Amino acid sequence: MSKLENKLLIDVGSTYFKLCTKDSVQQHFRDFNKDIYDDLTYKCGEIIKNYEKENIHICSSANGGLSTLIIGISNSFSLKYATNIAFNSGINIIDTVLYKDIETTSIPSDLIDVVIVVGGIDSVSNIFDEKLFKFLKELNYSNIVYVGSKKDAPYLQKNIENLVILPNIINDKLHVEEENLKEYLTNLYQADIMGKEDIKHLYDITSNQIFSTPYIVNKTLPMIDSKFKVADPYILIDIGGATTDIHYSKDLVDENMVTQNEYDRLVFKKLGVYKSKESLIFAAKNNEFVYELLAHLKVTENIFDESSEKSTRVLMQLAIFLVLCKVSAYRQAYVNLKLLALNSVVFTGGITKVLKQEEIEDIVTFFYKKILNSSHNPTIVMDNNYDVWTLGMLEK
Amino acid sequence: MSLLQEERNIILNNEYVDNFDFAEVEEFVKNASKDLFISYNFKTKDKMLVQPRGGFPTYDKMFALYEFFDKANVDVLPCTIDSNTRLNDYATAKKMLRLSEENEVDMLNGYPLINHGYRTSRKMMTHFNKPISLRHGTPDARLLIETAIASGIFEIEGGPITYLLPYSKNFPLDKAFLYWKYVERVCAEYSKLNEPINRESFGPLTATLVPPCITIVIQLLEMLLSLEEGVKSFSVSFSQTGSMNQDIVMGAVLRKLAKHYSEEIGVTDADIHLVYHQWMGAFPMDQNYASQLINMSTVIAAMVGANKIITKTKQEASGIPTKEANAETVANTQYTLRILNGLPNIVDKEEEEILTAEVMAIMEAVFNDPADTLWRKVFNSIKNGTIDVPFSPHIINNNEMITVRDRNKNIRIIKRGKVPIPDRCFEYEKNQCDLNKDTTSIVNDIIHDIGIMQ
Repeated sequence: MSKLENKLLIDVGSTYFKLCTKDSVQQHFRDFNKDIYDDLTYKCGEIIKNYEKENIHICSSANGGLSTLIIGISNSFSLKYATNIAFNSGINIIDTVLYKDIETTSIPSDLIDVVIVVGGIDSVSNIFDEKLFKFLKELNYSNIVYVGSKKDAPYLQKNIENLVILPNIINDKLHVEEENLKEYLTNLYQADIMGKEDIKHLYDITSNQIFSTPYIVNKTLPMIDSKFKVADPYILIDIGGATTDIHYSKDLVDENMVTQNEYDRLVFKKLGVYKSKESLIFAAKNNEFVYELLAHLKVTENIFDESSEKSTRVLMQLAIFLVLCKVSAYRQAYVNLKLLALNSVVFTGGITKVLKQEEIEDIVTFFYKKILNSSHNPTIVMDNNYDVWTLGMLEK
Repeated sequence: MSLLQEERNIILNNEYVDNFDFAEVEEFVKNASKDLFISYNFKTKDKMLVQPRGGFPTYDKMFALYEFFDKANVDVLPCTIDSNTRLNDYATAKKMLRLSEENEVDMLNGYPLINHGYRTSRKMMTHFNKPISLRHGTPDARLLIETAIASGIFEIEGGPITYLLPYSKNFPLDKAFLYWKYVERVCAEYSKLNEPINRESFGPLTATLVPPCITIVIQLLEMLLSLEEGVKSFSVSFSQTGSMNQDIVMGAVLRKLAKHYSEEIGVTDADIHLVYHQWMGAFPMDQNYASQLINMSTVIAAMVGANKIITKTKQEASGIPTKEANAETVANTQYTLRILNGLPNIVDKEEEEILTAEVMAIMEAVFNDPADTLWRKVFNSIKNGTIDVPFSPHIINNNEMITVRDRNKNIRIIKRGKVPIPDRCFEYEKNQCDLNKDTTSIVNDIIHDIGIMQ
C-alpha cells in the first residue's frame, strides 16, 4: 500500500462510489436523484478535502460508456478486430453491421457516439460505395472514424463530413494494429466525460485524467497474482449495476489475435442487477436451465417480481450462470471460451458485497455440471476489497 | 507460501489429478536412483546416448515398448504424449484411453500421462532404471510436467518458442513464456533434491529450411530463460539440415555460444549438452533408403560430437512406427556408433565466423530491446520480426525471411526480412546461391525441397 501514501482513489460506478485511501476502502450507494459530483461531495467531502487535486485519481464507468456502431466487411477480420479494440478501450455498447447486409439492416434510432468504418488491407480499393453514405445519412451519430484500406480513404473523406482517418487496423499479414484506434477511442471517452454534465464537475476535484474503469481493470490483470491466489488461465467477472464485464486470458480462445494485451474483454450490456434488471430477467426466462437453477436455489420464478435483498442475491446468482452460458460453447457468441481449461475465476464489483464465496462456488459448480457435463472445479477468488481496481489505478 | 507454490496448488487441484502429494513426490525425487536422471548419465557415460521416439495409449503397450527398447540396448527411453493431452484436453484423452483399453485399438497417438496418473506411471517409469525423456509439444505444460517428474521422468523437452511456433497458430506467445517459466522453476526446485532435472530445447522447429542462425538464436534464448530460473542441466539441440558441413559448423557454433552466453549471465555451474535429431523432414517411402538416411544421420551426429541422438525409424514415411521397427533403429544406431572410429575433425573457419557473426548480431538486437525482462525482450523480438522462423504457422511470426539451398545443399538466407543479419554476412549468404533464376523457379525449388530426401 506504500504507493497509496497521500493518494485518494475514486471509482464512480453506475450503482456505487468506491473510495480507497491508504487506510481503508469504502463504498457508498449512489443517490440517483442527485448529480454525481454533488452526491460524491455530499457523502465523501470530508475525505476529499484532505487531498490535493494531483493526488486524487478517478476512474468511471458511470456515464455508461460510449455507444459504438462498427461497419465492417467481414466478421473474421474487420468486425472482429474493431470490436476487440473497442472493448479493450473501455467501450461498453457495441453494435455491428456487416457491409454486405447494410441495405437490409435497420437503422438504430439511438444516438451513436462513434461510428467505426473498417475493411480491407491497404492494397485493396473500391470497397465502399453509395450504400454506406445512404446508411450514414439516416444514422444519428456524433463522431465517425475510418480505419480501413488507405486506398479508399480519400474517397470516403470526400463523401463523409468530419471523417477522422486513422491507419488501417488490419495490416498486410491480416494482423491487427490496435494502437491508433485504441488511443482515439480512449481520448473520445475522455472527451465524453468532459462533455457530460454529470461527470465533468469531477475535474474540479482532480487534475489527473479520468479513465474508464474497464480500461483500468484490464491493465491490472497481468499483476493480479501479487494480490490473489490465482493461476492462469483465468477469467475475471465484474457484475455491476448496468453491465457484466468478463476479462479473459487470451489462451482461452482459439481465434486469438496478436495484441499488446495478455487479456481481452467482453461486455454483456444487458446483464446487470439494477439498471438492466429487466433484461437480465428476460434472458433468464429464455434459458432452459434457469428453472432448474431456481429449484436448486430453493426459490420459484416469483422471485423475479420481488424487490428484496433475497431477490437481488438470486439475480446475481443468475447473472453468474447466464454470463458463463454466454461465453461457453452452449451459446454461439462473439467468443467461446475454453472453460474446461480455466484454473481460476475472479469475481469483482458489487457482487462480492452481496454473495458469499460458497454461494458463488455453488453456481459455478452447477454451471459446469449442467452445461458442460463436467466436474471441473476452478478456484473461486473474491475481490472483496476492490484490490483489482486499486492495483490498476496505482499503476496508471 | 510462495507465489509459485500457490500456483502449483491450484494447477494440481485438477479433477484429473488424484490427490497430488507434494511431500511424497519430493521424497521420491530425493531418493530416486541416479540412473533415472539423464543429467547423471551425461556425466558418467562416455558415449553418445541413443534415444528413440515412441508412445502408446495403454499402460500395457507402453510397457511392452519399453521392454523392446531395453532389449535393443537403449540409453534413454522416450515418453511421447498424445495430442489431446498436449492441448490440455484431458477429458477426450480419458475417453480415448478407455476405448483403447477396451478395443485394443490405439485411439491416441501417445501416452496420456495425466489420465494414467503419477502413481501408476511411476511403476513403469522406474522399472527399467533408465532415464526417460518427456516428448510432448504443449504450450501450457504445467500440469504435465508436475505429473512427469512425480512419475520419475527427469528430462523435460520443449520451451515457450520451440513448442509454440512450429505447432500452434493461435496460442498467445506471452502466455507460453509465463507457463514455461513455471516449468523452469519447478524443474529448478526439484533439481536441488538429487541430480538435476534436465531441460531440453526442441531445435528442429519447423524442420523446413530453417537457417542455422535462427535455430541457434532460439536455442540460446530458451537456454538462457531456463538457466535464469535456476535450471542446472540443459540440452541445446538441432536437426539434420541436409548438408553435412552445415551440421558440423552449426554444432561447433552452438556449443561455443552456449558457453559464451551462459557465462554472460553469470551461470558457470550448469551443464550444457548438445542433442542431434536425425532427419526431421519428409522421409523416403522406400524403407531401404530410410535406413540409409538414418545411418547417415548417425554418422553426422558423431562428426558433430553430439551428446545424444534422437532416432527415427524406417517406417517414418508411412505412419506411427511399430515397436519392432523402433527397437531395430536403436540397435542399428548403437551398432553404427560402436564401429565409427577415427573420425576426422572437420573445421570450416569461414562458415563458422559468418554464422557466429549472424547469431551475435541477432542476440544483440534481442538484448537491446527496452523491455525489463528477458522473456519480454524475446517476445518483442519475435513480434517485431527480429527473430523469424520460416514456415511457422503461428500468427505472431513475421514470415518475411526467405531461405533456399545452395549448390552444396546448405540452407542460405536470400531475404532477411527484419532479422538483423549483418550486411557482410547477408552478401556472403546470397553469393552462395544462384539468384539469376526467376522468382517462379526459386519458389519451385523451395517447394521441391520438401522432398529432398526422397
